[in-house]
Amino acid sequence: MNKINHLYWRAGFGLSPDEWRQKQNWSISKALDELFSQAKKATLLPVPIIEFDREDKKSNRDAFQQMKKDEHHKVAEANIAWVGRMADPNESALLERMTFFWHGHFACRSELGKLGVQQLNLFRQHGLGNFRDLLLGIAQDPSMIRYLNNQQNRKEKPNENFARELMELFTLGRGNYTEGDIKEAARAFTGWSSTLDGDFVFRQIWHDFGNKTFFGKTGNFNGEDIIDHILAKPEAATFITRKIYRHFVNDKVDEARVKELGQLFFKSNYNIGKLMRSIFESDWFYAPENQGAKIKSPVELMAGMMRNLNMRLDQPMGLLFLEKALGQMLFNPPNVAGWAGGKTWIDNSTLTTRLSLAGLFFSSSEFTMRVKDEFEAVQSEGKMARKLSVKMDLKPLVSAITAKTPDAMTQELAAYLLPIAPVIKLNTLTQPLPSNEKEGQLAALAMRILSLPEYQLC
Amino acid sequence: MKRRDFLKQASLASTAMMVPSFLTGSSLGKLYKNRAGKILVVVQLSGGNDGLNTIVPYRNDIYYRNRPDLGIPKTEVLPVSDDLGFNPALQSLRSIFDQGQMSIINNVGYPNPDRSHFRLMDIWHTASESTEYLNSGWIGRYLDSNCQGCQSPYQAIEVDDTLSLALKGQEKRGFAMSDPNRLKRAADNRILQAISKAAHTGADEEKVGYLYKTLIDSESSANYLYEQSKKHHSTATYPQSEFGQDLRTIAQLITADTDTKIYYASLTGFDTHANQKMRQERLLSQYADAMKVFVDDLKQNGLLNDVLILTFSEFGRRVNQNASRGTDHGTANNLFLMGGQLKKPGFFNEGPNLTNLDDGDLKYSVDFRKVYATILDRWLEAPAPSILGKSFADLGVI
Repeated sequence: MNKINHLYWRAGFGLSPDEWRQKQNWSISKALDELFSQAKKATLLPVPIIEFDREDKKSNRDAFQQMKKDEHHKVAEANIAWVGRMADPNESALLERMTFFWHGHFACRSELGKLGVQQLNLFRQHGLGNFRDLLLGIAQDPSMIRYLNNQQNRKEKPNENFARELMELFTLGRGNYTEGDIKEAARAFTGWSSTLDGDFVFRQIWHDFGNKTFFGKTGNFNGEDIIDHILAKPEAATFITRKIYRHFVNDKVDEARVKELGQLFFKSNYNIGKLMRSIFESDWFYAPENQGAKIKSPVELMAGMMRNLNMRLDQPMGLLFLEKALGQMLFNPPNVAGWAGGKTWIDNSTLTTRLSLAGLFFSSSEFTMRVKDEFEAVQSEGKMARKLSVKMDLKPLVSAITAKTPDAMTQELAAYLLPIAPVIKLNTLTQPLPSNEKEGQLAALAMRILSLPEYQLC
Repeated sequence: MKRRDFLKQASLASTAMMVPSFLTGSSLGKLYKNRAGKILVVVQLSGGNDGLNTIVPYRNDIYYRNRPDLGIPKTEVLPVSDDLGFNPALQSLRSIFDQGQMSIINNVGYPNPDRSHFRLMDIWHTASESTEYLNSGWIGRYLDSNCQGCQSPYQAIEVDDTLSLALKGQEKRGFAMSDPNRLKRAADNRILQAISKAAHTGADEEKVGYLYKTLIDSESSANYLYEQSKKHHSTATYPQSEFGQDLRTIAQLITADTDTKIYYASLTGFDTHANQKMRQERLLSQYADAMKVFVDDLKQNGLLNDVLILTFSEFGRRVNQNASRGTDHGTANNLFLMGGQLKKPGFFNEGPNLTNLDDGDLKYSVDFRKVYATILDRWLEAPAPSILGKSFADLGVI
């Protein structure tokens, strides 16, 4: 695959036809300059408020249920808007990608619109910055605090949930701390709580100001001290780097390379942007074994397809059905360990749906699959949400693909859309063609190529 | 541009997904084994069924005090023991219970329970500790362990359009199918054509080979299951509900000696935070009516001794009713086993202790993984400790 295309699939969500036309011959450094400067310019998202009257909530359960429904709806809207940004060439592709990565790393379910968006803003603010800021931010993030029960973490009865995941999943991995370290760390985070309005609050009366012994050192540590002690271990840098490598480079980890990058990350004092840039600048990042080596996650697949086709849904709630059916609902990871990714995305049901996706969109079909659980935000949209009618503007694709004959158009489309040469002989895709016009032919060819298993990879 | 016209043609041709011939030869030509041994059917009551209003402690004042609106009046309960009775909606199950083909295990749960719906579901599906996070399910790991040699993904079938975590192993996956006809239609349109046109090698095994392999397996499974579903037409009259039809599909496949060890079906909607009574009773009667036909159908075909049915819900509900005449997420719950080879029909253990609660919740006395371990070990002849990550005592129920 063209290097620029590979870069944009990994550092973003692919290229729109216009971007492909403009950028396919760019140098990597030019593309990186643009990606990083665009990310710097990105702004924070407006945070919705939690609308409910506290007295009302206590006295009236119906009002409470209604509030919950409204909040689910807000989370659904934040989800859809986010996928929209991933697909939108005017947004910062790199920042959206980093935000998406951190959402998977600090996996957390948000049930209130404010909490979900607030957390995204944390990732937008520090996702390419310093990992310590990000980590401290997540330790003080109301959504995470609620998700991992840190509100129940009080001096008299510490709750170890956050402390455990902080080390096991967020920074070090098993084997780099003891059960005793977890207990002591939990004490240091006592009183780190969230208000009813969804803001961070430090509740002194719940905090344990006594001495703690953590990693063999004793002192009156608070949560910030614990984070510093963790980050003083080079193992933390390696752990994060490995996770980044898996997401951005290859599920199969080259440990020597990760070690080297981890050292660089550690020496840079956990500068995430620097680490990312050094990955994207490396020759090995573009090596054949790293191209088309990853199975796209459902959200990557859908956002990428929307971007490739200049497409949006008339009933965007329909996206939630697809996320659900394919196994990746934003703001709703399976658990705090996040989405396992790789081959776990694939079973007979998800693969069939994935391969039908382009067909569903092109024919604006109704989505008839049964999906598990009901989810209120979508239910309120009724059956309409299952109608996957879309708006596609194919004109930019017509300008981006310069070839005149169907065979040559197929070649160009494959170069644009597929990360590796397809198993199929490309010229078998050109028959029959439904139209004599270029746009009609391109649409048919694009749909066929998007339905190939190779498009599932990036 | 006539969009409709070209799309029609384009969709047809878009199915021309070429499949490398090195894959087609091997998996399509294989012979199917017949069913061997015992079959497990798992029924999940999704959303957290309120166990206390399912198997009712109808002589317990604390129960009625905690549930002034929701408590099932003594006069309505169908008593099956001195202190426990069925919700009237379970009427159809009475005969199964009376004939010794049902075991009820009370107070099933696990240590340090969480009340998040999603986490609870996750724990039941993966059989993890409450402090650990697994990304594979217990049935999936059974497939990993006992199905290394099998080519077929339909060793475990979930009758639904999507696959639950319970059926996803590290290596192997179960197979999702809500309706063999629909599955066959999908396979005919998309994949069969592709295979007939395929004559190509060179798929990068490392990268795309897995996707092609899954595609081929899905296609051959669709054909096989479609043929199997036609072999035996059940004469029993199943309820028209989705759940009833799902059980009918399972019965037909079992009766046709399908090479499938495990079937999985769900009935959803049990998350009754508000106005519980009508909703739960409607669901319970849907459940009971369909199960009754299913069990009778199996019996009729002489298969009940080869089938074990596990019914579970991922959590129970709190003892106290809430202000919306519903109940909120709780912890320990009862579960049911049905079949012709139960060693302890009736009640396996005593009902919940309402005087000894944990912050308003029932305390568990039977770890749910003991149930899994017993089934894996006794019924499926699988190494329970390696599938569950540790050893659990056999309950002696089968």
